[in-house]
Amino acid sequence: MDLTPRHEVEAPDEMRQKMHRRRRRTVLVVALVLIAAMAFITAQGLRNATLFFRNADEAVEQRVELGDRRFRIQGRVIPSTVKSESGITTFEIVHDCVVVSIRHSSDPPELFKSPWIPVVLEGSWVIGEIRNVAGSDTHYFASDRMLVKHTNEYASANEQRLTDKPPEGLLDQCLFEVPAATS
Amino acid sequence: MTSVTHSNAKMTATATTRVLGVLAIAATALMTVLGLLISPADVIQGEAVRMLYIHVPSIWIAYGAFVLTSVSSILFLRGRKRREDRGRHYDRLAGSAAEVGVVFTGITLVTGMLWGKVTWGTYWQWDARLTTTVLLFVTYLGYLALRRLPADPIVRSRRAAVMALISFVNVPIVHYSVDWWRTLHQKASLSVGRRPEITGEMYWTLLYSTLAVTIVAAWLIIHRYRVIRLEELRDEETLAALISSRLDKDDGSN
Amino acid sequence: MSEVATVVTGWGITIFVIATYSIWVVSRGKAIGQELGIGEMEQLDPRKDAGATTDL
Repeated sequence: MDLTPRHEVEAPDEMRQKMHRRRRRTVLVVALVLIAAMAFITAQGLRNATLFFRNADEAVEQRVELGDRRFRIQGRVIPSTVKSESGITTFEIVHDCVVVSIRHSSDPPELFKSPWIPVVLEGSWVIGEIRNVAGSDTHYFASDRMLVKHTNEYASANEQRLTDKPPEGLLDQCLFEVPAATS
Repeated sequence: MTSVTHSNAKMTATATTRVLGVLAIAATALMTVLGLLISPADVIQGEAVRMLYIHVPSIWIAYGAFVLTSVSSILFLRGRKRREDRGRHYDRLAGSAAEVGVVFTGITLVTGMLWGKVTWGTYWQWDARLTTTVLLFVTYLGYLALRRLPADPIVRSRRAAVMALISFVNVPIVHYSVDWWRTLHQKASLSVGRRPEITGEMYWTLLYSTLAVTIVAAWLIIHRYRVIRLEELRDEETLAALISSRLDKDDGSN
Repeated sequence: MSEVATVVTGWGITIFVIATYSIWVVSRGKAIGQELGIGEMEQLDPRKDAGATTDL
């Protein structure tokens, strides 16, 4: 007669089932976490990805409907217009010959100093008479967040130097002149 | 007693993988020298451009690995009834390529975030490229989780193959997201049929890095494939031992 | 973080991840191989299913 206590020795298939159950539970938890992560990512993506920014010309065109709503605006920084004073950086951006005056209130990223760099700014329209390189405007854009939108162009620092000259074709159709940078 | 013999298991080392392994290490060493020391700094980004040589090859390798996963999954689904091994060769190939693809997608995300911080000024933005890439990463993690779900191996492989094909839909979306939507992320640095906007030394360093990472990935996929094969052998052996112990028990009780 | 620090961190993480993953794959193969008693000198049968090898 076998007197071995039953609770001490489990049959191999019982052990296997137990292992399977535990594994199944772990995989289910992982699957749930992954599904939740995917739902979160999709929700974030749908909210932001389709219209990540408006180009300067579109933002001006949609000024009335945008009102004082927060949005992102994109354009190239005109180097001669950049001024910094007591934590506020003012400058102008251009896209498709439309110029927008910017009043930016946080530290710009390092690459902001590169001439004609494309930037994406987060903020809203503010009413205020302002002069810029294209004439005068009734609004300026107050931003508190700046992202530098780097292009996919790479050039060796040994062969090229940064210049204040606008990128080829950028201002060809524009009716205004951009003054050269003073510094 | 039923026992699994290993007459069909090759020895754990082959001359080819040894050569490939040494080549992978040498190629990575040269890539490091070229990428970090010899290639020039960028006129705008400065030293930060050196991230290009790991970030771009990583996502290309991930794309390649996911293509391999999909092709292998199709071959598995088509051949599982005809082939002697019930298509398990293709299933292993799909699994190993997907795992390597996930590793390289992870590297792409991490290096991209670091690079983003110095160029864009932020680690993360939910733009179309970044969102679809993280979705790709999570989807293939799900695929790998599915492969570990306890089930009949063939049923599990079939489910995984279907999931691999569904997951692949996102690959072209990730690649073309920068063309289809407005993104903070720049356009593709390397693209078939498009002139690269990168000057000589940087362009060749990037191409070389892609080749070096390809060798590393090939070595990893081959080895991961063999480990999957070993895992299968072990499972078969465990099963055989269980059956044998059950038979012994039944014999004893009769 | 400076440009150089970012580059060093990025490359460092990449090499660390690939090296760790490679070591994990090889050692897992070796461990299972040992468990199964697959020795270095095991005879091959090239006509059969693809093999199980893990060493560099």
